[in-house]
Parts: sequence; C-alpha cells; structure tokens
Amino acid sequence: MDFSAIFSNLILGFTVAMSAQNLLYCFIGCLLGTLIGVLPGIGPVATIAMLLPITFNLPPIPALIMLAGIYYGASYGGSTTAILVNLPGESSSVVTCIDGYQMGKQGRAGPALAIAAIGSFFAGTVGTVLIALFGPPLAELAFEFGAAEYFSMMVLGLIAAVVLASGSLVKAIGMIIVGLLGGIVGTDVNSGIARYSFGVSELSDGIGFVSVAMGMFGFGEIISNLGQTAETKHMEVSKVHSLMPTWEDIKMSIGPIIRGTALGTVFGILPGSHTVIASFSSYTLEKKLAKDPSRFGKGAIEGVAGPESANNAAAQTCFIPLLTLGIPTGAVMALMVGAMTIQGIAPGPQVMTQKPDLFWGMIASMWIGNLMLVILNLPLIGMWVQFLKIPYRVLFPSILLFIAIGAYSINNSPFEVYMAALFGFFGYYASKWGCEAAPLILGFVLGPLMEENLRRAMLISRGDPSVFFTRPISLGMLLVAFALLLMVVLPQFQKKREILEVADD
Amino acid sequence: MIRMFRFAISVCALAATAAGAADVYPNKPIRIVVAYTPAGTTDILARAIGQKLTEAWGQAVIIDNRPGANGNIGTEYASKATADGYTLLMTTAAPHGVNPGLYRKLGFDAVKDFAGISLVATVPNVLVVNPALPVKDVKELIAHLRANPGKINFGSPGYGSTGHMSVELFMSMTGTKMTHVPYKGDAGVLADVMGGQIALSLSNMPAYTPQIKAGRVRALAVSTSKRSPAAPEIPTMAEAGVPGYVTVAWFGLLAPTHTPRDRINKLSAETVRILKMPDVHTRLSDLGAEPVGSTPAEFDAHIKTEIVKWAKVIKDANVELQ
Repeated sequence: MDFSAIFSNLILGFTVAMSAQNLLYCFIGCLLGTLIGVLPGIGPVATIAMLLPITFNLPPIPALIMLAGIYYGASYGGSTTAILVNLPGESSSVVTCIDGYQMGKQGRAGPALAIAAIGSFFAGTVGTVLIALFGPPLAELAFEFGAAEYFSMMVLGLIAAVVLASGSLVKAIGMIIVGLLGGIVGTDVNSGIARYSFGVSELSDGIGFVSVAMGMFGFGEIISNLGQTAETKHMEVSKVHSLMPTWEDIKMSIGPIIRGTALGTVFGILPGSHTVIASFSSYTLEKKLAKDPSRFGKGAIEGVAGPESANNAAAQTCFIPLLTLGIPTGAVMALMVGAMTIQGIAPGPQVMTQKPDLFWGMIASMWIGNLMLVILNLPLIGMWVQFLKIPYRVLFPSILLFIAIGAYSINNSPFEVYMAALFGFFGYYASKWGCEAAPLILGFVLGPLMEENLRRAMLISRGDPSVFFTRPISLGMLLVAFALLLMVVLPQFQKKREILEVADD
Repeated sequence: MIRMFRFAISVCALAATAAGAADVYPNKPIRIVVAYTPAGTTDILARAIGQKLTEAWGQAVIIDNRPGANGNIGTEYASKATADGYTLLMTTAAPHGVNPGLYRKLGFDAVKDFAGISLVATVPNVLVVNPALPVKDVKELIAHLRANPGKINFGSPGYGSTGHMSVELFMSMTGTKMTHVPYKGDAGVLADVMGGQIALSLSNMPAYTPQIKAGRVRALAVSTSKRSPAAPEIPTMAEAGVPGYVTVAWFGLLAPTHTPRDRINKLSAETVRILKMPDVHTRLSDLGAEPVGSTPAEFDAHIKTEIVKWAKVIKDANVELQ
C-alpha cells in the first residue's frame, strides 16, 4: 500500500473540506441532520429528498457534503431522543432506547449521551480512516456476496434478534413472524404478481417501512402514554445532571465501542440498510459477552456504547460502495446517487481518479463533520432537553403532526398516514401484551430481502439448495446462526433466560 | 440577467393581457405529476423542464412525486385530474408502453385518458455481459446461447420492466433462451453482472457507462437505431447482427385528455423550445438522455406504436399478465 499517496490524498481532501464554503455546508448538513434525527418521524430519506432541488443551485462538492452531513448527523440526533424520551428518532437508534432510556430514568442520561457521542465519534473517525485506507479494496468484498450470502446473512440477523429479545422468547418469535408476514405484502419479485394487496394499488409495493416504524414507535408510544394516568406518567424526559461519564463508565465502554465499530464497519459495506442490523448485532454481542447479562435492559452502558458506535460506523462505511463503485446500498445512498447525477457526476470507480477533489474532499468532510457533531451536540443537548420539556399536551399533538407530515411526504399521499395510524393501534396493543416492536420491525425489513435473495439464489442454482452450504461465506454465516440457535435451546441458557424473564417482570 | 428576464416576462404578460381577455394561460402554478421517486431520471427531467417553464412564464411549476406500482399510481392519479392545463404528467415507456399490455386491470387508459404534449427525451439501452463470459460480440453471444439453452442467467430491474421486456424481445428475435432473474431496481442488477452472479443484462445505458469504461462489464450493443454519442464505439444491435431490434427508454409530457387544445399547443411549443437550450442539453446528456421534442400529434402516435409493440412482445414471449 502506498502510504505517501494516501497521505497526499488526505491533504488534498482536507484542503478542499476546510474551505469556508464547504465548512459552512458541512455545518448546515450536520445541524439539519441532528434536528431531523431528534424529531421522530422525519428521517434523512425524506429530508434529503426534500433538499435535492436546493442542491441544483450549488456546486457539486458542497451539495454532497451537506447531504452526507444530514445522513450521519441524523444518527447522532436519533440517539438523543432515544435516551431522553424512549423515542428512536431514527430506526438505527431503536436499540439505544433499550438501555439508554433506562439509564436516563436512573438519572444517568448525561453519561449515556456522552458515551453515545464519544462512541459515535470514535466510530466515525475509524470509518473515515478506513474509507481512505481500504475503500477501493474493501469495495471488492461486496462482489463476493451473491444471493446465497445475503440470504444466510439475514438468517443470522433474524436469529440474533430472537436471542436478543429480552422478554418472552415465544412473543419475540411471534413478533418476528408478524413482521415477516407483513413484509410479504406487495409485488412478488419473480412473477410480478401482487400478493395480499386486496386490490389496493398502494399496497402493490408493500407496506412502507417508514409508516410501520412511525406507527409502532411514534403513534404507539403516544397512545400508550395517554392510556396512563397523569400522575404516574408525567412526560418522562430524563434530566441531564452532568454529562461527565464516570471513570467506571468509560472503562466499561471501551470494549463495546471498539467491537461495535468493527461490526458496523463490516455491515456498512454490505448492501442493504444495515445500520439497524449493525446496532442489533452489537447489542446482542455485548449482552453475550457481559459477565452479568441481566443488567441489560436496565441501563447497562455497554448497551448504549456498542450499538451507537456500530450504527455510526455503518453510516460511514456505507459510503464505500457508493464512492468507489457508484452502487447505492440503501435508500439514502440511492438519493446520493441522484444528487451526484444532478450535478453531472456519473457515480462509479472513475470518480476517484477523475474527481479526486470531490472524493477525498467528501471523506475529509465526514471526519470534520463528526468532530462538529460532538462539539455541537454535547453543549446543545441542553437545548434539545428544553425542546423535549415541552408539556405533553403540546408535544404530543406536535409529534403526531410531524409523524403525519412525515408519513404523508413519503409518497405525497394520505395512504401512508392511515397505515401509520393502523400500526399505531397495533403497536399500542402489542406493548400492552408485552410484545416488543423491535423484532417485528426487523422481521419486516429483512423478510422481503430474505425472500428475494432466497428465491434468487435458488433460481440461479436451478433449485439446488446445497448452494447455501457449498459457498464458504454463506456456510460460515449459517454455522454462526446455528450456534446461536443452539445456545437458546441449551438447558443452561434457557434457565438463564427464565431468570431474566422473572427479573423482567 | 434575472432582472432582464423579469422585464421580459412582464412585457410578455402585458402584451398577452392586452391581446386577450383576463383568462391568460397560465395564470396560476402548474403541477407536473411524476410517478417515480425524487432524483430518478423522470424526476430530474420534470424539474429541468419545470424550471425553464417558470423562467418563461413566471408561474411556479410544482413537481408532485407519486411513486409506486411501476408508475401506475401516479399515472392513474394524473388521469383523474382536472383537464385545465394546470396538471401535467411526465410519463415513461412503462405506464405508456409496457404496462397496458402487461396488467389485466389498470386504473387508467393510456391512450384515451391522455393527450400528448411532447416527447421529451430518450435513453438508449445497452447490452452488457460479465467480462468472464466467453463472448466478444453479439454473434458470439447468440452462438453461445444456442449452445447452452436456458443455462445463462439475465438480470432485470423487475418483472415486466422495460429491461425484462427488452431481453424477451431479443430472445424471441434471435431464437435463444435464457433464465430471467428479477431484481428490485438497476443497482442490484449492475452489481451482480459485475460480480458474475448473473451473466447479462440489457438496461438503461447511463448507469452502466462508467462500468463499461472501467472494463468491469463488457458492452456488446446499444439498442437504439443509431450509435450513442456518449459511447460511439459500441455498435447498434442491427450492426451487431440483430437487424430490426430497437428498444429505447423514453420520457414525455402529457396532459389529461380534455385539456384545451390551445393550451396543449402552447405547452408543446414551449417544451420543444426548452429542449433546444444549450444548458438543458448539457443537463440531459449528463443523464445519458438525448433531448427530443415533438408535436402533440407525433407524441400521441409514438405512444400508440409503443403500446402495440410491447403488447406483441408480451404475447410472443408468453409473459404472465398481472
């Protein structure tokens, strides 16, 4: 590897990124990203889509720097609401709610927020360095992945989710299955026939993920809060006493941050929306490694540090396939491709050689952006807290309105709003019955992808299922999944789970 | 510059008011429905035209994205809008080409419910193979396919997509057989042709151009009747050995059917004028699109030809109706 070339490339990148205009747009992007990350129901996809027309009038580099800032800024902001009010501002911070909110309830919201920011910054830095060092060779890894590998990876993801669920195993499996079934609605990829759409043309593309997530986490949360009497539930915005984590906190977080970063890096490079899987996997891993797993779900700092690092690492490294090969790995990256095209840049491997100022400038700006986010967010947390201290009677209708606007803006149609409302009711009853929403969402996201890749793998192998076991990467994933499954079935582990369950109740 | 524009606009407006009555078209914002997501080719084209219409007429042009169901949702929506020239539709070869032959039930009639304004742009398709496939040109490909019937996989961005239908047409014209592997969108197909998971695809050229230039996929032919200025070294399908094979992705502007004729003509003339502007030209070629521009009658005829052509492909290839 030619280190002097990388060094001069990074210098070029920082020269570009440090120009006053680019710094300004990086700042605007990060600020906007944090804001929409904090606000539940307005995500980076909708925001970037809404801002695309504005970028028409900007030069390419600041335009892309700003859009990228919105994306990774949102994952910072998302954790703030997750910790303070148990509302994941973004899907990637769903896991952060579990222990982050508990920490908040125990008066330790400050350290939780600080660790989340530090973990995210560390992951962001590592991610940036990795893009610079290994971007080109790492992108080749994605080509080793065919349909069989993707399928096995998702099997692993789902099984990890079952193992992860803290409550009843049966209920977790139940919710995953409901999610998988919900994900099946829509046009069958191989035959083009609409399934379970009941003649509703809006359903022919499936139930929108955003409306399910908004409904389950947004509406559902609000309805269940309203169901409680005023004295038991006064808006539980956790107080931020002090941001400083204790030495003990930091010691406990170092491992999870490093492991989360590693996991997130790997998941980020693979196509699909993997920030969620990255944070779930990290949580599972930390729970497995913990000396006392029963602390998880009750405010374990590892449960915040690991997933937050993982989702931010993934948010950085998912730019690798985009910048080096022009292949978008998710909805946001697809919008970035659109933004590049608008600017007359055909995304692909030639960007790095033909537009080195753009490629390296963006990479450098991501690191600067991450630094800005830490500097911006920690002092601003006070402001977000103020924002969230608004009384329920004002906040709830506003959140409902934001969710409704967000849902409407997906397709400019009221249909998604109805869907969100429907899932809101379902989410309310599910939480009453002690069923977690997270496994459902994961099943919902992975279900269609799993089916698509399973059938594609079988189509290419002409119906021979051994393809999943003869390809080494696929076999490896399935073996890990099997090992996880064994752990659940093993009597010792079951006992441990039962104890956990009792403790949960 | 802007001031000059404003001046020009107000002079035009004055002249128009003096000439006609108060009812000057357009006197309020115009909406262009796009049945696809923002930032796609259809959306970018609609915004490019919209921006120039605003500059010319001083009325805002709003882009209304209503994606879903292969373009059918937005198209049905536009077909039911008031036919007053204030709601238009930027359509593609899907709702106004393939879909009428493919879907048993559509919420709109592609011919009766719409009046053409102008064909806006065309985008060539390109036939690409994984470089490991032992064929250097279309003739060798056909020979290879005949030697291995049904064994080679081709990818498409979806069942019933123009990418799928273009390969079906190729197979029926060359008497070859391949296995269809559908994806959701172009990106997955491209990655798997590059990675060698599938051997071949025939899809919109712009996404593939950088990969062709980088040597990650091998281009055998373009689907248009003339070579593409973006990649003049790639032969046309006819030159490469499949005479008469032409498929093209196209984009055009429509209005609901009973929109007043004078408004349609005004929109058409303006669209044709916009498509001749050098900066519009540049923006379109960056997308890999070639600006066209046509009269309403020419565009209506084009749509009818397309629907007949694709219906025949669907029937010949025994593609299952939806």
